[in-house]
Amino acid sequence: MPILSFSLNLDGVIRIHNAVQCLAKFSDTVSLEARSDRLTMSTLNSSKSAYASFALDSSTYFETYRYNDARLSDQSQEGPSRFTCQLYNKALSSVFKGRLGDMREKETAAERCEVAIQDDIDNTECRIVVKMICKHGVTKTYKLNYESTEIKHALFDRNSAKNKWRIDASVLRSFLEYFGTATEQLDMYAEDGRIAFTSYTEKVMHGREILKHPLETSVALDTLDFEEFSVEEKMHVAFSVKDFRAIVLHAETLKTNVQAYYSLPTKPIQLTYNENGVNCEFTLMTIGDYPGSSTKPAPISVRGSSATPTGGRPSRQASLQPTQSNTIRGVEEKQREAMPPPSQPASRSFPRAPQSQSGPGSFRPESLSQRTSRPSPPPPKASLDPESLFLPAEDDDRQWDETNYEDEEDILGWDASGNHKASALQKLQTAPEEASRYESLPAWPEDSDRRIAPTQRLAEIETLFSQG
Amino acid sequence: MRFKAAIRNIHTFTKLTGSLLLLSKVVWIRLDNDQVRFTVIPERGSQVWAVLSIDSIFEDYSVHSNTPGNTIHLQVSLTHLNRALRSAINATFASIRLTKKDGIPLLAITITTTTFASLRRPPTLEGLNERRLPSEAPNSTSRAEVDRGNDDSISFQDHPPAPFPSDRETTITQSVAATVLPPQSVASIHEPTCREPDVHILLPPLLQLKAISERFTKLALPTSSAATGDENLSTRLILSASPYGEFRIGVQTAACKIESKWQGLTNPELDPTQIEGGEEGVREHASTRQKNLTREEAWATVRVEGRDWGRVLGVGRLGGRVVACKSPDPFFEK
Repeated sequence: MPILSFSLNLDGVIRIHNAVQCLAKFSDTVSLEARSDRLTMSTLNSSKSAYASFALDSSTYFETYRYNDARLSDQSQEGPSRFTCQLYNKALSSVFKGRLGDMREKETAAERCEVAIQDDIDNTECRIVVKMICKHGVTKTYKLNYESTEIKHALFDRNSAKNKWRIDASVLRSFLEYFGTATEQLDMYAEDGRIAFTSYTEKVMHGREILKHPLETSVALDTLDFEEFSVEEKMHVAFSVKDFRAIVLHAETLKTNVQAYYSLPTKPIQLTYNENGVNCEFTLMTIGDYPGSSTKPAPISVRGSSATPTGGRPSRQASLQPTQSNTIRGVEEKQREAMPPPSQPASRSFPRAPQSQSGPGSFRPESLSQRTSRPSPPPPKASLDPESLFLPAEDDDRQWDETNYEDEEDILGWDASGNHKASALQKLQTAPEEASRYESLPAWPEDSDRRIAPTQRLAEIETLFSQG
Repeated sequence: MRFKAAIRNIHTFTKLTGSLLLLSKVVWIRLDNDQVRFTVIPERGSQVWAVLSIDSIFEDYSVHSNTPGNTIHLQVSLTHLNRALRSAINATFASIRLTKKDGIPLLAITITTTTFASLRRPPTLEGLNERRLPSEAPNSTSRAEVDRGNDDSISFQDHPPAPFPSDRETTITQSVAATVLPPQSVASIHEPTCREPDVHILLPPLLQLKAISERFTKLALPTSSAATGDENLSTRLILSASPYGEFRIGVQTAACKIESKWQGLTNPELDPTQIEGGEEGVREHASTRQKNLTREEAWATVRVEGRDWGRVLGVGRLGGRVVACKSPDPFFEK
């Protein structure tokens, strides 16, 4: 009897693929946590500076979802039972492939997916069994090994995060096109009704190396562009631009609004969005300077949440805080119940000494304990990213770039664009007297009907030559 | 030392940096009162010495320097400059200035755009109705005009559908690290002097020429198994031009000999005012002598390295007319 079994339609499979892709950018393992009401995929990166989770709602996300907690009910007294395990991201991503929904492979596309997690003390075969039911009666079955572990979830107290904003993911996505490829940090700074997102790199270079200093990009936009905006001004908060990129790229696939909650620099920031039964939460560590001591915070710039393009007058609506996004908070509170409570009362501002928390479910961002320390993500290699983020070649500018001569694809390239219909072929014919200079070569076909098509394979040219 | 300008022609500037980027990663920019010069001198391959009049890419241009001739020499990464400029493609306004941050000189490109407005959700129903009302009237009048057989459709143009009202602007600032070169360090760098060209000719469409050149280069390259990525392997393309409007490109290997020929191209005439010696100089010019030769004799031929030539042809993205001057070194002007 599997402890968990569920089935998904194709759309659900693709969205799991997107989530797995996103998690892969944080860490090479994925933690699964199954409960009766949801399945959570999460990961914590190796420097423990970033945590990502995707909670799939059992009633809306899945076609069927059955969590059989009979085995665990007698053991766990601490709350609702849960099943946790960990497996390699690569294993999951090789099952939930991106091409499953690809129209080009329509013939082999999966139609639905059934997953069963078998976990039985008496059974040596503890596996996650994924069945992809494809067209033409093909069923692909994958059996994945997993490791049974305790999962660490990041704790984030939204009540103490007094800065928040919400914005369309596509706006954030458009930032990515401007950011340089090698930058490391993303700084947020609000002032005078505008907020600047600056991607920068800390490295100090000298001499000729200065020219290699990555591009520093600052995007400043009006706070009215946000659906909701309530942020303390004149405070620098920075986090990893690589994590931001991973999050925004995923958020854009769901075409949703991204919401951010944060308090102070060196305290975590949480980015969340919630769409179609997927609740995505990312908790990232921040760095930055806080002007003066924290006892006298700068004024908070608050804007009404009803952001119409014309009438977003500034107003203090600090009381908004408890009323909004009850569903999200509800989920989180349940989550907190299930975990050992932190050793400090939750009503205090954000836990000041993360080291003192020792519960297995608590987030222990070791790199956060000192203000000066900062997460050190590996330099992103975005230029090699297959899902490249940068300006698409709208005006086929790439055709002017250098040809890759090692490219094995052997295609005659001229006039393949079709843009030069008039000019491209008119002067290509070899004049008759010139053709005679090359006895070994056939004359260029003079007849316009037999003119060589703009694109042809090398093999076709060879047959042409042998005829001559 | 100050430099500030509005970028008038973002498209040209971006394409220029894009084509220079193919040849080298670093560009030397020379700014003075009259000209902007972009020079790339790669370790191997073709050099580019581009001279632009200021108003071809900038306006409201100001340069202040203590050096004689009020000249600023900068060195910047083309990769970063090109990336920075590419984010300005949809800009409503862009400017460039030289600043300093933490002791590092920076070329700061400030871009103002309203494109984010279009990304936002469609306007509310209210907004739509407001928008429709004013455009309703001109539509009906112009339809009436069409009925009367009046093909004056300007009334459409007078009332284009107003973009959704949004006066909110997004400012993007791209900071490109730069080094300021002291005048003495560049004093010894001179543009190579070329022999007087034998033939001037307007090349055929560059995209076409580029595709054929690359095709020839690829055919003449040793098979990939033998090449194993050896960069030193080179292919010589043979370029010939005549004062009779003909241009040939060819390649010869042990296995094959291929040639393409264009006819009916234009040989631009020399402008006596630009030539030393005026009319007399034109008469004495090498290209004039070449014209007196017969059709068969008048070919001027150069050999170029195929890959390098392909990179040089990347300049075609600027869309200008190209004059090739056939002399021992190919030299291009837009």
